[in-house]
Amino acid sequence: MIAIPMFLILLYAFTKEGNSVTRFAFSLVNFKRFLTDTVFLEVLYRSLRIAIETTVICILLGYPAAYYIAKSSETLKMRWVLLITLPTWINMLVRTYAWTGILQDDGIINSILGFFHFAPVKFMYTDFAVILGMVYNFLPFMIIQIYTSLTKMDVSLLEAAADLGANRRMSFLKVTLPLSMPGIISGITLVFLPAVSSFFIPRMLGGGNYVMVGTLIESQFLTAGDWNFGSAVSLVMAVIIMISMYITKKVDKGEQLEGGVK
Amino acid sequence: MKKVLLALVASMMMLLFAGCGSKETLKIYLPGEYMSDDLVPNFEKEYGCKVDVELFDSNEMMYTKLMAGDSYDVLIPSDYMIERLIKEDMLQKLDLSKISNMDVIVDSLKTSPLNDFDADNSYSVPYFWGTVGIVYNKNNVSIEDLENEGYGIFKDTKYKGQIYMYDSERDSFMIALKNLGYSMNTDSEEEISAAYDWLVELNKTMEPIFVTDEVIDNMAQGRKDLAIVYSGDAAYILDENEDMGFFTPEEGTNLWVDAMVIPKNASNVDLAHKFIDFVLTYDESYANTESVGYTSVNKAVYEAVTGADGLYEGNDAYIPRTDNANDEVFHDNEVIRKKISELWIKVKATN
Repeated sequence: MIAIPMFLILLYAFTKEGNSVTRFAFSLVNFKRFLTDTVFLEVLYRSLRIAIETTVICILLGYPAAYYIAKSSETLKMRWVLLITLPTWINMLVRTYAWTGILQDDGIINSILGFFHFAPVKFMYTDFAVILGMVYNFLPFMIIQIYTSLTKMDVSLLEAAADLGANRRMSFLKVTLPLSMPGIISGITLVFLPAVSSFFIPRMLGGGNYVMVGTLIESQFLTAGDWNFGSAVSLVMAVIIMISMYITKKVDKGEQLEGGVK
Repeated sequence: MKKVLLALVASMMMLLFAGCGSKETLKIYLPGEYMSDDLVPNFEKEYGCKVDVELFDSNEMMYTKLMAGDSYDVLIPSDYMIERLIKEDMLQKLDLSKISNMDVIVDSLKTSPLNDFDADNSYSVPYFWGTVGIVYNKNNVSIEDLENEGYGIFKDTKYKGQIYMYDSERDSFMIALKNLGYSMNTDSEEEISAAYDWLVELNKTMEPIFVTDEVIDNMAQGRKDLAIVYSGDAAYILDENEDMGFFTPEEGTNLWVDAMVIPKNASNVDLAHKFIDFVLTYDESYANTESVGYTSVNKAVYEAVTGADGLYEGNDAYIPRTDNANDEVFHDNEVIRKKISELWIKVKATN
């Protein structure tokens, strides 16, 4: 059941249009079209840039939040986790629509600015709006992942570090951070993947001409009807994602090893 | 006690299923926000059946689902898509004897070019019709500019940052081709590539925002000064915001009809005919055009709402222009369709 759609994507990606069930014309033309066109490469670059920026911001915001939650009392912990997961119970589409109302030229933020006689700021249809939408939607995944790895940590390790003369900063850098690395890595996976392939958030908050790879793939399937090209683009994306996952895993292992030796 | 309860529940379930079984179900698939909220309940009451409504964003999306094997009883696509579905043998011939209201339809829809896609209604019955035009803020856009420049106003840097384009390849290429003086049904490579350059330059220099249905709300709120809008949506915008006007350039526009059809794989053909007939009745047509804003295909309704004291009296967008030789109906052409959709994503991605 899982393999069949994947197989179909492979088949579509490597064939030309207009196949019958019995006859396939294998070809690399779809890949060539995507990888030799500067316009499409720019789309790819923009998607990776936005996804990386989103992921970095999620780590910067998510880590302190997860750290704070992990350090609070049991009842507070439960409350915080509930509060953080609460938004994910509501459909992403609805939450993103809500942001358009907030960021619009005559939206809530600009109304407040106008009330204090500040010039209106253009939020909608900018990089800022798209990244904000992504961080808002994907941040909970990052927090929960890091939080889980922090709570699994053995507190006696920190006591041991203190016994050995490490100050708080040292013990954070040498003990807590390396031990929470698996959480960060799975957080990165859970944020980067949906961010790089998202098509709804860029369309809503970036406008129809804010094209990302997700938009490109979606349009090939739903409007252009070129499933072959769409499949090829998804496959290129899958390969890029696999490579980046491999690199993060490597980095993770390297760091753990380094930590162990020292 | 437990057993009694179980038996009770079981018998209730059976009753429930029996109730469902006796009711016929009609599956319809149509564009979003394109039908009065009361129409379906009224039909369900009248014929004691159940109607499943599914909505699509674009004709192309509908086509994809149909190709994937989904079955519906009634579809409401546009003219060019119906032309394609007929060509690909996806529709069934209507039994016009079952549709008693056929004679209510507006005369322009029974003549060329508006009926070119299905001249004798063998496959389709009109639902709404209209044009594509420019909605503009009368306070900020001079009508002289519009009259002199036509669609060229979307490349007039005076209005930079003030425009919404419609995120649809057909409509955008129509505008570019018309402004360049070509037919929107051209199959000339040079003309299409000139239109592509026209659109790329627009995207690079004018800071446009490409939207779809959001344009309705955005223009009703007056967030920008110029937008490409379908006539029916424009009629709604003009109704909501008196600063807005509707202009159809002399260069020509897209005349279109959306019509009801029954696909080959429909499972409830008889009820589908009843539904089509029901939509055409005076009361339902009136309520439909009142709530949606698109132009009615029912002659009596059309005359009532555009006449003195009518709902859309004096609303420029409601009355489609039918006397300009530059106006055209879209035709399905596989080669152009592919070419244009390939270019369109590149237009949007270039900025």
